[in-house]
Amino acid sequence: MKIVVLTKAAVPLSSAIRIDPKTGTLVREGVPLTTNVWDRDAVEFALKLRDKYGGEVIALSMAPPSGIPALESLIGMGVDRAILASDRVFAGADTWATAHVLAKTIEKYVPDYDLVVAGEETIDSTTAHIGAQTASWLGVPYVYYVYDAEVKGKTLIVRRFLEDEGVDEVYEVEMPAVISVLKGSQVPREVRLSRKLVAREHIQIVSNNDLKLEPECVGLRGSPTIVAGLAPATYPPRKRVVIQGEPQEIVKKLVEVLRQEGVI
Amino acid sequence: MPCSLWPPINKEEYKGVWVYLERDGDKLKDVGLELLGKARELAAKLGGTEVGGVMVAGTEEMAREAIYHGADKVVIVENPDLRVYTPAEYAEAIAKVVAKYKPEVFLIGATKRGRELAAYIANTLITGITADCTALDIDPKTRDLLQIRPTFGGTQLATIRTPQRRPQMASVRPGVFPKPPRDTSRVGQIIVEKVEISRRRTRLISVEKRLEKDVADLPPVESSDIVVAGGRGLGSAEGFKLLIELAKLLGGTVGASLMAVRAGWVPHNRQIGQTGKTIRPKLYIAVGISGAIQHLMGMQESKTVIAINPDPHAPIMQNADYAVVADYKQVIPLLIEELRKIKSQS
Repeated sequence: MKIVVLTKAAVPLSSAIRIDPKTGTLVREGVPLTTNVWDRDAVEFALKLRDKYGGEVIALSMAPPSGIPALESLIGMGVDRAILASDRVFAGADTWATAHVLAKTIEKYVPDYDLVVAGEETIDSTTAHIGAQTASWLGVPYVYYVYDAEVKGKTLIVRRFLEDEGVDEVYEVEMPAVISVLKGSQVPREVRLSRKLVAREHIQIVSNNDLKLEPECVGLRGSPTIVAGLAPATYPPRKRVVIQGEPQEIVKKLVEVLRQEGVI
Repeated sequence: MPCSLWPPINKEEYKGVWVYLERDGDKLKDVGLELLGKARELAAKLGGTEVGGVMVAGTEEMAREAIYHGADKVVIVENPDLRVYTPAEYAEAIAKVVAKYKPEVFLIGATKRGRELAAYIANTLITGITADCTALDIDPKTRDLLQIRPTFGGTQLATIRTPQRRPQMASVRPGVFPKPPRDTSRVGQIIVEKVEISRRRTRLISVEKRLEKDVADLPPVESSDIVVAGGRGLGSAEGFKLLIELAKLLGGTVGASLMAVRAGWVPHNRQIGQTGKTIRPKLYIAVGISGAIQHLMGMQESKTVIAINPDPHAPIMQNADYAVVADYKQVIPLLIEELRKIKSQS
């Protein structure tokens, strides 16, 4: 089984983010990047399928060269090889333009793929778009929120959970297909240092010289959506009234507050 | 020159603000009706253009319900193969209807199924989409839809436009916009549209309601006006029982910080914060929660915040309207007792 895992080399939220004032997009160049936490579920899921059915797991990211260490860690987890689609013209892409590059890279470098696995969403942008958009670009069916799967001939039997409905569903989907993995559903395996040390030789970097995509259809220029404005999110200012003293007094005051708020 | 994969479009051909109406069995989910209310507002700003709805395998009764909530026109997709939901097939059918009716704006409720469909539909239509908008507006000069959403972990609010493509698409989480009043005097057009889809490649085999061992028979955190949440400071699962009791008395529900979820006191679906749910209740009561930034990101849009913590310097106390400096074990049981008294008197 040939499985491509889509992983995002993302700017850790703990680091100071830099935003390009011209485009309103996040600057990833020169920033140490780490794999989006929910993509580690996707990687674990793919590795489990490979361990059971044999084959190969290929991690695919679109990122500047600073995304290489993130891919090295994934190889340390057990991914067989990785492809980094990296070119200045890819910068500032929205999800349409990102999925475009990912799908074209898959078609060119892993044309015989059986399955594409994505994380449920990224922790920084949280759109959950890329899985469905990649499926659309590739012209294959897809199912989100999967936490278990088994191969049955040319199809995949997937079990997924819809959290808002509290419902488990089982689908049979023809391969090749795209699935997204329910976040938090897997226990990602540890990175093996011995493997991580030789990881670099398993990473292939492809640029737009290789992919030959129309520059107007990738990156910022190829993005149907643009960030027209960005402002720090503001939240309601808090009153910060301190309530302290004997428990009885506190409760009396709390009951007053609950009355004011119309709760009781 | 724009991307040659973008077929040229005539923006003037695109009219109306349309909404995907998701079904929950034989009734419409509220989020579709909420979006119809917002659609009416946007349509007015666009000079009184029409409001439309699309549903797959719905009934005329459901279509009328949509009309009562603001739709002028409802398309029911009819195809015996589409009675049961499957993602690629539903997305394809919806995209076909949208391509035919050419709305200027197309909105989708960001339920789990809605999130699954939205980006595939947008890609099929070769247009952009913005996920989880918390506000929508119209730029009167360009008629562009202003798609406003939190980004970069909730620290920034981005305004996104789709200047060159139509329809302009956005998804919106349930409960973000109010449900408009039901007006049975409203009239509209119901169109049954036969839509063909390509060969089916996804089949539903089974559906099972998951009987989760939740902490209590309480509503989910994202749909409750009052949320009582607990953190590591509770010290044990026993502490949570007090919060459940309090939540029930207040007609609310219970939530938790990541620490309480990790401790196994509460299931993951009740976690509030960056890696859990973002909620906007009227009242948020944080008990034994220190208030790490990741937690604050999930609750800072609450209208009123009460924090109970023995440490007056805990970050949550700086982010509360009422900072109660106390050990919850001394305060919550008394509060429960007091609320019971009040209830029995009324």
